[in-house]
Amino acid sequence: MQVTESIILLIYLIVITIIGIYFYRRARRSESDYFTAGKSINTFVGAFAIFAAVASSSSLMGAVGSGVALGVPYFFTYAFGVIAILPFVMFLIAGQIRRSGVKTMPDFFKQRFGTSVQIVSAIIVVIGMTFYMVPQLTASGLIGSHVLGIDYKTAVIALGIGFTLYAALGGMWAITYTDLIQGTLMLVGIVVLAMFILVDHSGLSALISDALAVDPQFGDITQPWMSYFGLFIAFLWFGIISPSVVMRNFASRDAKTARRSAMWGTVLYLALFLAGFVVTSAGASLGIVETLDNSDMIFVSVVEHYLPAIIGGLMLAGLMAAIMSSADAMLLAISAGIAHDIYKENINKQASERYVTGIGLIVMIVASIVGILIAIEPPGLIAIMVGWVGGFLLSSFGFPLVLGLWWKRANKTGALMGMLSGAILFVILISSQVLPTNAEPIIAAPVSLIVMIVVSLMTEPPSKEVQDRVDYYHQHIH
Amino acid sequence: MATRSKLKDPGLMLTVVMVMYAALVFVWWPVDTYFKGISLVGWLMFIGLFIWLLLGVIYVLWIEKLEEE
Repeated sequence: MQVTESIILLIYLIVITIIGIYFYRRARRSESDYFTAGKSINTFVGAFAIFAAVASSSSLMGAVGSGVALGVPYFFTYAFGVIAILPFVMFLIAGQIRRSGVKTMPDFFKQRFGTSVQIVSAIIVVIGMTFYMVPQLTASGLIGSHVLGIDYKTAVIALGIGFTLYAALGGMWAITYTDLIQGTLMLVGIVVLAMFILVDHSGLSALISDALAVDPQFGDITQPWMSYFGLFIAFLWFGIISPSVVMRNFASRDAKTARRSAMWGTVLYLALFLAGFVVTSAGASLGIVETLDNSDMIFVSVVEHYLPAIIGGLMLAGLMAAIMSSADAMLLAISAGIAHDIYKENINKQASERYVTGIGLIVMIVASIVGILIAIEPPGLIAIMVGWVGGFLLSSFGFPLVLGLWWKRANKTGALMGMLSGAILFVILISSQVLPTNAEPIIAAPVSLIVMIVVSLMTEPPSKEVQDRVDYYHQHIH
Repeated sequence: MATRSKLKDPGLMLTVVMVMYAALVFVWWPVDTYFKGISLVGWLMFIGLFIWLLLGVIYVLWIEKLEEE
């Protein structure tokens, strides 16, 4: 057991919980939503908020792990996709979603295509988010087992239960606020780590040479082309298809601030991945990746090797807490998806608040159990698992959402068929393993697109009212 | 107004630029050319990170200019 780290982790979790409660009460007192309160938030704070919403700490850990295990071009592919997330969202959907006035993706599908599409989308969100718990649990299990000195399996189970309790007690607001703080700490932490590494190796060139001396394949393309391309498109689309968070940021604040925040958020994201490149090179230069049970552990090894115990402990604690809040946001999305979007809105409109909350809690527990069971024997590297989630959501939602905003002729049957065909084909491809890993969306997403276009054209066009609404989404263009 | 003006959307035009650069990287795919020991593919993506940021900045300024008009 690492005593310093454990103590810091404990203190950190207590402090972050207190901060969460404080902000939660404050938000309740003013009775205004965090994001509408965000109207008074300036670009600088907004940039950190949107950065924290997009950047998942487990994916940073995963990007570094994959770069060390599969060569640095794999890390760059990851970055090439994720740095494009916010610009891509702005280019294709942000302004239009803003004009539509909806706050979540299933809400948009209801407004544009109707209830059946909303229900299918809510089910897909639930499946995707349940699986997205797995990389979070894997990452926290690895850190937890190292810091607390327990085995990985026990760490995953204990932390999984902890996450569920925290989500059940805390709720969304505490999480949103602490996310902001953790996103900031994460960025500062990794930049400091990168500086320590660069000083230690006397500069970037020397660091890359050191990495190549230990691992001559560090600079190579080690996987099939399709794996890189599939990973890239899955991440590029992540902002468009990830439920709600990004969308809310754009939907609620005034347009100019939202855009500027996204632009500065991209700067922060770029800084994160530039520092990540340094960490990846340092990880390769340690030459220990083969000795680790799980390559994703390399991030923790780098922190331990280069940083003094106290700073390292703070960084690991921050990482762990950030993962916890991401996992909790996912659990809440899952429970809201079933209890609210499906049950309350469509099955039993008269259900009492207490009953709906109860269903939400049961759903959350079931999702955690499923996540824990898979994470005990993780089916792949963290980066690859995150890529699967992105690929699944892209194959199902990507085109129904974008065409819904851009193409008047897209109708309900087309959207429904496009969504189902993409999702089902993705599942078939991933379970049959005929393609290289992460290549599934290369086939499934275009199939979804074609099915949606063909079926829309073969069936009745949407009503004039709906078509006018699509024009309205685009009224900012003259 | 709608159908024609959608094609003039800065977002759509910048998406085309983004797709073109990504296509350059993934079609060319210079696996066996190395610079400082790292495959050129990696470096093209690295340059791409800055291009993405630049496109984001262009979009923000462009839309702000349109709004002023």
